[in-house]
Amino acid sequence: MLKRSVSQAGDDAWLVYEQIILAALDEGQIDLAKSVLFILDTRFKDSQRVKRLSGLVMEALGHTDEAQTLYTEMLEKDATNVLASKRLIALLKSQGQIPLAIRELVTYLDTHGNDFEAWLELSHLYLSQHLYPQAAFCLEEVILQQPANHYFHLHYAELQYTMGNLDVALKEYLRVVELSTDNVRGFYGVKLTADRLMTESKKGKSSGNKKDQQSNRMDNVPQQATLERLSELATERLVSVYNRASDTSKKTAEKWLKE
Amino acid sequence: MSGLVESTEQAMFLDPAIRDWVLFPITVIMVLVGVFRHQLTILMTGEPPKPDIKDIRQGKALMRGQLLAQNNSYISAPAFVERKKYLCEAYEEGKYLKNKAAKDQSAANLMADPKNMEVMMDGMKKQMMGIVPQTLIMGWIQFFFSGFILIKLPFPLGVRFKQMLQSGIMTPNMDVRWVSSLSWYFINLFGLRGVFSLILGGENSADGTRDMTAMSTMGAMGQQAGQPQDYNKQFLSMKDTLSIVYHEWDLENIEQRVFVKYGKQARLFKSSRK
Repeated sequence: MLKRSVSQAGDDAWLVYEQIILAALDEGQIDLAKSVLFILDTRFKDSQRVKRLSGLVMEALGHTDEAQTLYTEMLEKDATNVLASKRLIALLKSQGQIPLAIRELVTYLDTHGNDFEAWLELSHLYLSQHLYPQAAFCLEEVILQQPANHYFHLHYAELQYTMGNLDVALKEYLRVVELSTDNVRGFYGVKLTADRLMTESKKGKSSGNKKDQQSNRMDNVPQQATLERLSELATERLVSVYNRASDTSKKTAEKWLKE
Repeated sequence: MSGLVESTEQAMFLDPAIRDWVLFPITVIMVLVGVFRHQLTILMTGEPPKPDIKDIRQGKALMRGQLLAQNNSYISAPAFVERKKYLCEAYEEGKYLKNKAAKDQSAANLMADPKNMEVMMDGMKKQMMGIVPQTLIMGWIQFFFSGFILIKLPFPLGVRFKQMLQSGIMTPNMDVRWVSSLSWYFINLFGLRGVFSLILGGENSADGTRDMTAMSTMGAMGQQAGQPQDYNKQFLSMKDTLSIVYHEWDLENIEQRVFVKYGKQARLFKSSRK
């Protein structure tokens, strides 16, 4: 029966085979992946796409060096092969050679500057090396290309919060809750940032010197009243969201909000 | 006189041999040539020419500038200025150009690029393949069957169809319903598209009419497609575009927008007006 459905699928079957290999590798069924790879290999000789799949199988078997030479060969043959260069970077990442992977990814992005997923990956790599400004730059590129995805804004906001740019962080958190209604992570961010900005500006008032520093660094801080209103709004929305949620998470949230 | 014409028309009968040896062969041959052409096109169009990695880099660099000019409001002012400065400098220096040495050369020299020649040759080949068989069939029909009446349509038609259905026959008084051999060829040429898409699938290259349209638009298209793009000029114009972009951060009044969205404020800028 399987044979019949394969013949019915016609040329679409090859795409399914590719997916089967990837799924089998995810599941750790390397024998299955190998047998399907054999079918593809006999049909498409010298195909770059099949070669990349066989590279994947090699990686799964732990032959990383062989896979690496295979990818390098593929790239020598055709320098525009996106799949191979991506695999090479992923291989370096999995081997823990993060600085090397970053360098490769930067060269890749120099050519393929419109691959926002690669920018995202680069920002993750930079983050793992605690290079926050670089990661922020990458996320800005991602946002430039995908401005409507609130997840990237959230990411960027959290990064800015970590870097201490509370004004930008607040704005970005607000963007998140604007794009995605009642986004819990976004409202937590709004509340945290607004509260921190309020306490810091209070501190700044007590000592004039510090205030100068603050106003120098952050020129986008909203007025005190607005901050208070934002904090209130965040509390209100969070409470209403958690009222719909289960009891335990509700209690935890209430406890945090009262503090 | 008119009665005579009518009676001759009524009395006109076609030899069944014409149907068997002219009408069917023309149709069958046209279908076969279409199928043959489709297979030949598949055979002859090899891999599309692979772009060089530097070509890609060139194009993507331009796209990045466009993106920045378009979506500038989504990033903060310092981030925007940083990018603008970098891209403008890069464009000015020709950092992303495929061959920096040829930066100042004119576009005409780019024609020497072998890849461009290859692309042009490919287009020529395809067009020739469309034109040659059709010309041959038409020549064959005109040579052997000129003046033949092949078929009588089962429905009456106005006089205006005479030119369409009886090309190659100079009889002003014949009923429009009779179709001449050359006209049968044209009807097949335009009418077989449905048959081809049935036999060969939707995306086939057997259809002859596409070549007709290709031929008529060749004059206009050929110049645009054939001429390589001068990236240096495009980079410089993109630089100008970028340098006059007025940056406005979209998040400037985000607080108000969020208040409005969650019903804390009736309208935008209400508080600022008070």
